[in-house]
Amino acid sequence: MTVLQEPVQAAVWQALNHYAYMDAVFLAERLYAEVGSEEALYLLATCYFRSGKAYKAYRLLKTHTCSTPQCRYLLAKCCVDLSKLAEGEQVLTGGVLNKQKSQDDIITEFGDSASFTLSLLGHIYCKTDRVAKGSECFQKSLNLNPFLWSPFQSLCHLGEKLDPDQVFRLSSLHIPVAPPPPISPAQNPSHRLDTALMETPQDTLELNRLNLESSNGKLTSDSTVSYIDSSLISPDPCSLLANTVSMGSTGSLLGKPNKPKSGRSLLGGPAALSPLTPSFGILALDPSPGDPGYLQNYSGSLDAQQTAPSKKSVSRIGPSKSVFGQSGNGREVLPIPFSQSQGSAPHSSTSPQVLSPTLVAPPNIQPRRSTRLFTSASSTAKENSKKLKMKFPTKIPNRKTKCKAGLSTPGYQSITLQRAATDMVLYMLRELGRGYQALCCYNCQEAISILSSVPAHHYNTGWVLTHIGRAYFELAEYTQAERVFSEVRRIEAYRVEGMEIYSTTLWHLQKDVALSALSKDLTDMDRLCPQAWCVAGNCFSLQQEHDIAIKFFQRAIQVDPGFAYAYTLLGHEFALTEELDRALACFRNAIRVNNRHYNAWYGLGMIYYKQEKFSLAEIHFKKALSINPQSSVMLCHIGVVQHALKKSDSALETLNRAIGIDPKNPLCKFHRASILFANDKYKAALQELEELKQIVPKESLVYFLIGKVYKKLGQTHLALMNFSWAMDLDPKGANNQIKEAIDKRYLPEDEEPVTEDFLYDSADVEESSMTDADDSQLHTAESDDVL
Amino acid sequence: MATPSKTPPGADPKQLERTGTVREIGSQAVWSLSSCKPGFGVDQLRDDNLETYWQSDGSQPHLVNIQFRRKTTVKMLCIYADYKSDESYTPSKISVRVGNNFHNLQEVRVRTYTGPTSHIYPPKNSPIRTFMIQVAVLANHQNGRDTHMRQIKIYTPVEESSIGKFPRCTTVDFMMYRTIR
Repeated sequence: MTVLQEPVQAAVWQALNHYAYMDAVFLAERLYAEVGSEEALYLLATCYFRSGKAYKAYRLLKTHTCSTPQCRYLLAKCCVDLSKLAEGEQVLTGGVLNKQKSQDDIITEFGDSASFTLSLLGHIYCKTDRVAKGSECFQKSLNLNPFLWSPFQSLCHLGEKLDPDQVFRLSSLHIPVAPPPPISPAQNPSHRLDTALMETPQDTLELNRLNLESSNGKLTSDSTVSYIDSSLISPDPCSLLANTVSMGSTGSLLGKPNKPKSGRSLLGGPAALSPLTPSFGILALDPSPGDPGYLQNYSGSLDAQQTAPSKKSVSRIGPSKSVFGQSGNGREVLPIPFSQSQGSAPHSSTSPQVLSPTLVAPPNIQPRRSTRLFTSASSTAKENSKKLKMKFPTKIPNRKTKCKAGLSTPGYQSITLQRAATDMVLYMLRELGRGYQALCCYNCQEAISILSSVPAHHYNTGWVLTHIGRAYFELAEYTQAERVFSEVRRIEAYRVEGMEIYSTTLWHLQKDVALSALSKDLTDMDRLCPQAWCVAGNCFSLQQEHDIAIKFFQRAIQVDPGFAYAYTLLGHEFALTEELDRALACFRNAIRVNNRHYNAWYGLGMIYYKQEKFSLAEIHFKKALSINPQSSVMLCHIGVVQHALKKSDSALETLNRAIGIDPKNPLCKFHRASILFANDKYKAALQELEELKQIVPKESLVYFLIGKVYKKLGQTHLALMNFSWAMDLDPKGANNQIKEAIDKRYLPEDEEPVTEDFLYDSADVEESSMTDADDSQLHTAESDDVL
Repeated sequence: MATPSKTPPGADPKQLERTGTVREIGSQAVWSLSSCKPGFGVDQLRDDNLETYWQSDGSQPHLVNIQFRRKTTVKMLCIYADYKSDESYTPSKISVRVGNNFHNLQEVRVRTYTGPTSHIYPPKNSPIRTFMIQVAVLANHQNGRDTHMRQIKIYTPVEESSIGKFPRCTTVDFMMYRTIR
C-alpha cells in the first residue's frame, strides 16, 4: 500500500508545486479511489482547496470521517472560508454541545500546526463575539510561533496592548509541540541547552555541532539515540535559524555551511521532540542515494525526509510529524506513511539512503535552494507561514551538504550568520510590530517615526508606506498622506489594501482627477475587492453624485461584508442625502463588524448632532475620542457639541486641547472664535479671527464671522466690508446667510434678498437694483475707510 | 409675477448639482399626473432622459403632483421644455402651487414662458417648506390642448452639515477638517 501510494503522491505534490491543479486533482482522485485512506483523502482535499474550490474540499471532508489533525485543520479552514464558523469551531474544539477541548489540548493534539490552528480558532472566536477567548488563542499562537503576523495584527485590532519585543522573540517554547516521550537523560541537557541557547547561542550551537560531528560517522538508527542525548538543542531556534537563512536579505548566508546546522537543529530538540530527532539524525547521517533529480526537485528532498522515518518504528510517528512540519510541509501533522510517500520517484529507496550523494559543492546549493524556495509548494503555503515555508526547504539541503561538507569553521560561521539572519528578521518584525501597534492605538506620530526608521529597502515597500500614509491620514495631514500613498502606487501598483484610505485622502483634498484615475485603475484591476468599490464610491461622492456613490458602497459591502469602512462610507453618503435612519443603520453595522472603528462612532455622533440630540452626539463623539485620542477634528466636534449643550467653558477647554494637539487645524480656531463671539467676548474672538485670517486668507467664512463681530460691536462699515469680502470669496453664493446679514443691517425694507445669479438672469430687475444699491453703499463705506 | 424667466442656455441641472449647493430630491417624493397617454407617464417624466416625455391626455389644466413623506424644503423646480421638438405641446404658462394636500394648495408662482427654452426654473425667492407641490400647466404654446413635459427635477438646498450652523466653507483647507470620513 505504501509503495503504491508513494509515486502517485509524489506526482500529486509535484503537480501542486507547479500549480497544475487539474493534474493534481485528477491524480489525487484516482489515488483516493484506489486507496481510500485518510492521507489520500487529505491529499485530495488539499488539491481541491488549493485550486480554489474550498466547497469541494469541505464537502469531501464532511462526508468522510477525518480524524487526523491535518484533515481536521483543513476542514476547519474550509468551514471558515465558507463562513460556517460554528462548524469550524466544532471541528477544532468539539463544539458547544460536546465537551470543549482546552487550548492546551489543541496544542498537544495538533502539534506542529498548533500555532495555525490556534490562529484560526482565535479568528472564529473573534468573529463570533468571544473576543477574550479569541485574543487568548492569538496569544498562544504567537507564543508558539513568533513568525506569525496575522495573530499579532488581530490582537492589535482588538486593541490589545502587546509588547512586540516580547512577542517576536525566540524562546525555549518555540518548539513544534509533539507528545513528548521524555528521555530523561536528554531532558536536562536539552533544558540546559535551551537556556544556554538563548544566552549564548553560538556556544550551544558549537556544542551541538561538535556533538553532531562526533556522531557523524554512524549510519544506523542506533546512532540516533546518541543524537538525542548529545545534540539537544531547542529545535526551533536553530530551525528558525535555518529558516531565516532562506530570507532573501541574507543571501550571502545561503551557503553550504548553513546546512549542517539546520540538520542538526532538526536533530537536536528538547526532549519533547526526541522521537523526532532520530529520523532527522538518520537523515543527516545517511547519505542516501536518493534521486538524482533531488537537486532539482524539492519534493525529492521531502522524500529524503520521509523515507528516513519510514525505516523507523511506529513510535516514530510523532517525530515524523514534526519532521514534516519542520520541513515546512505546511505545518501539517502527517502520519508517517503519508509523509513517506510524499516525495518523488525513488521511493524504492525507502532505505535510509535518502541523501543524495550527488549533492555537490556549495555553489550549486545556492541556486537550488532558491528554486526550492519558490517551488516548495509541498508545504501547504499558509500566508503566515510564508517565511517558514521558505526557510524550511533549506533544511534538507543543509542537512545533506552537511554530511558532505563536514563540519568545520564554515559551519561555525554559518551559525553566527544564521543567528544574525534570525535576529534580523525578528528585529524587523519587532520594529514593524511596534509601529503597527502604535498606529492601532492611534499614536500616529510615534508610528510614523518608528516606521520611517526601518531600513531603506523595507521602507520602500507597499506595506510600510501604506501604514505611514495611514498614520498621516489619521493625523489629518492629508497632503503628506497623499504624497506617501502616491509613492505606494508607484512602487506597488497592484496593492489594494490601504487604497480606500488613499481615496478618502483625495476626497478630503478634493483632487477629483487623481481620484477618478485611481478608481478606474482599481476597478479594472480587481473587481472583487471591497477597496476598489470604496474608491469608486468616494470618486462619485466627490462629484456630488451621491446616489451612484451609494450604489458603489453597497457593492463594496456585497463583495466583502466584513469590511467595516464600506459601511462607514455608506453611512456618510446616506447622511449627505438626508436619509438619516439608513445612515444610522450603516454606522451601527460598521461598529458591529469592528468595535474600534472610530469613524463609525463619529458618524453616529454626527447624525445625532444633525437631529439636534446633542447629548447623544456628545456621548458618541467621546466614545470615538476614547479610541482615537489624538484627533483634533474629533475634539473640535466635541467642542461644538458642548457649546450646543450650553457648556461653553468645557467647549472652550476642549477646543484649546484640540488646538494644542494640532495647531494647524483652522476649524478649531474658527469654532473657538465663534464660541467666544456667542459668549460676547468680541475682542478675543476678533483676535482669534485675525490669526485665522493669516492662516486661511481665502476662506469666506472667516470674513463672515468677522463681519458679524463687527456688526455686534457696532462698527457697521467694517462689518459691511467684511461681508462684502465674504461674498466675493464665495461667488457661488449659496450663502444666503451672508446676504441676509448684510440686508438685515442695511436694507431692512427690501424683502427680496439677492439670490443666485447663476440661475436668474436679468429677469429679476429689482434684485439687481438692490445689489447696485449695496455696491454703492459698500463703495462709500470702503472709501471712507481708506481715508 | 408674470415675468418671463429662463436660464441661460446651456445651464444644466447637472452642473447645478455639482456645485454641491442643491440636491435633487425627486426620489423622496410620490409623483402623480392628472392624465397621461399610455407609455408617456411618470416614468418618462422622471427618467433623466430628455428624449422621453410625459404627454397629457385630458383637459387643461394638466397637473403634476409631487408629494413628500415629510415636510421638505424645496428651493427650486427645474422643468425642461423644448419648443423646437414639441411646438404646440410646449407649456407656456405654468403655475406652481404648494400646500399640505390636494385641498390646501396655494399658488406660489405663475410664469409664462416664451420661445425656445431649455430649463425653466420657476424661481422661489426663499426655500419653501411644504408637503406637496403641484405643477399646473395652464396653457400651451399655440393654444395646444395636451402638453409634453420632458423632465422635471426638484431641488432642496444642501445645508452645511457637520458642525455649526454656518454657511458653507469655500476653501479646501477648511473643508478638509470639517469632517472625519
